[in-house]
Amino acid sequence: MKFVFFHLMPYPYLPDDFDERYPSPSLNFPRKFFDRALGNRLYHRYLDELEYAERLGFDGIAVNEHHQSAYGLMPSPNIMAAALARRTERAQVMVLGNAIGVRGNPLRVAEEIAMLDHLSNGRVVSGFVRGIGWEYFGHSVNPTRSRDRFNEAHDLIIKAWTADEPFQWISPNYEYRYVNVWPRTLQEPHPPIYIPGAGSTETMTFVAEHGYTYMSVYADTRVVRRWFDGYRRAAEEIGIAPDPEKIAFSVPIYVAETDEQAHREGRQHVEWLFHKGLKQSTSLVFPPGYMSPGSMRGLLVAGMKAYTEMSYEELLAGGYVVVGSPESVTSRLRELQEELGFGQLIGLFSIGDITHEQTTRSMELFASEVMPALRPLGVACGVTAAS
Amino acid sequence: MAQVANDVGQATVEYLDFPGGRVQLFRGGAGTPVLFLHAAGGAGEWHEFHELLARRFEVFAPDHPGFGGSDELAEVEGVDDLVYHYLDLIERLGLERPHVVGASFGGWVAAELAVARPDAIGSLVLLGPAGLRLPDHPVTDLFLLTPDQLPGALFADPAKASALFPAEPSIEDVLTAYRDMTAFARFAWNPFLCNPKLERRLHRITAPTLVVCPSGDKIVPVEHGRRYAERIPDAGFALVEKCGHAMYFERPGEFAELITKFLTTGADESGARR
Repeated sequence: MKFVFFHLMPYPYLPDDFDERYPSPSLNFPRKFFDRALGNRLYHRYLDELEYAERLGFDGIAVNEHHQSAYGLMPSPNIMAAALARRTERAQVMVLGNAIGVRGNPLRVAEEIAMLDHLSNGRVVSGFVRGIGWEYFGHSVNPTRSRDRFNEAHDLIIKAWTADEPFQWISPNYEYRYVNVWPRTLQEPHPPIYIPGAGSTETMTFVAEHGYTYMSVYADTRVVRRWFDGYRRAAEEIGIAPDPEKIAFSVPIYVAETDEQAHREGRQHVEWLFHKGLKQSTSLVFPPGYMSPGSMRGLLVAGMKAYTEMSYEELLAGGYVVVGSPESVTSRLRELQEELGFGQLIGLFSIGDITHEQTTRSMELFASEVMPALRPLGVACGVTAAS
Repeated sequence: MAQVANDVGQATVEYLDFPGGRVQLFRGGAGTPVLFLHAAGGAGEWHEFHELLARRFEVFAPDHPGFGGSDELAEVEGVDDLVYHYLDLIERLGLERPHVVGASFGGWVAAELAVARPDAIGSLVLLGPAGLRLPDHPVTDLFLLTPDQLPGALFADPAKASALFPAEPSIEDVLTAYRDMTAFARFAWNPFLCNPKLERRLHRITAPTLVVCPSGDKIVPVEHGRRYAERIPDAGFALVEKCGHAMYFERPGEFAELITKFLTTGADESGARR
């Protein structure tokens, strides 16, 4: 099992009337609520936590990209990765990922990741994401072009990393007469690629074909099982043995000394993440064309509840979060691993409005008591695709 | 060709083949041809309003590519493409200088058509037209409205919206609406619901023109219609009171009457015929 410490870098200091007055912490939530001094301290606290994760033995430390939101304070994940690259030595520095569907100039991503690969001495991991719906509003990018932009940007970046000679790139959304990225990446042929999946069969096949890592987003265990099975089937269909380490399960985790303490303290932070951080209308998340008709139908038929409508108990039971004593967290994650067959665990420890002290204590308990017990799991594929 | 009969009247539905798919077209009535271009909403139906127009005209109401019963056409990805699409359609139907009536988004397309080929149309009627960039009079972000906000945003009297917005929409209802909005976003996301160059081109329009706006428009401010009327040579302007942006869905009689009156008095000089 490979362990990744993932950060969202939320801005937790919301006004008291947030629930009544604001439909979301994203897109239109006024920036006046960002307190300059508090926000400044947050960045340093969060980077400290990521650096500490390496010292505790996590294999990777991960950042991501969000725009115009208190849900996550990293409009540029590459800047955060750069800040980590020279302060760490061993852990993979994972950008999960660059929102290449939204990015105006994807060639810039190829350049920045290549630089990061050198700053980190070959430890960088490059995730590619489409960007959340609200970011298509915020950056004025047409969501009906989202998939095409993602696919074209991906193909362009990979070619920019692997071509030996300058080339011309012409696709419907991008035109470059001269592509010739300096520097070359340190890793050959290029850094590992991670792609999040949320049910699209096209994505499963795409990730399997390219040998990329498929990572889940927060969802019910039964749903994640369908996604991972789909990925494994897609891999088998093209004759590739699915490597469990390339199946990454993402989940918020809170560990405290006892179950009682963990739930007493953790409830509020989990509720912040799902009820405030992820408070968003469907118009905001799924702007027109962002979802293909088939994916939209799948979503409606599945009838998944909005995050804000799920109670703490439902979130626990559904495997959206894992909370408890080291023993309980170990046994719950073991259970989830048996069900889902992942070989990589991407944990979110700094959950919502949690304090730095709680975060580091939870990380320490996880690293000293949970990690050793789970380490042997997931090295061989224990779960085969359900037919 | 199939007949459709509903509680408001009769029309035929036919399909025209284009590269990449087919387009659905409602046709009803007899007389001088009127090409009606629908708004972001309103595809795929023959409404009481169409029926009222069809008492005096032969009404051609196509669904824009990707809307209603029309396929998405890969070659039609911008409003400039839509202009060529409708010039092709006019030719295919054998219409000679039809009157063109467009509502909201369809009004924008109608204005672009009249700018590109002033000679190709008879009279022009723009209903609550979008298409201009007026930063001081911003258009409401339709893409951000939640389903529960739509009736109040579109209607002066939201009670009249109940037929359009069922309280418990089925999965098919949601998918149909998402498909129409996707088609709309393809043309209107960015620049948002406008062609920044259109205003300076409006002087090219030679068709007799009437602009009709609902007085209570909470989506496209009335100033947009007024600006059209100012920039299009000799254009007329009329307001329909106690009406929201849903326009002919809210007051079909008033809209049909204004249009019919304008087109019948101006028809001779516009020269529309088949």
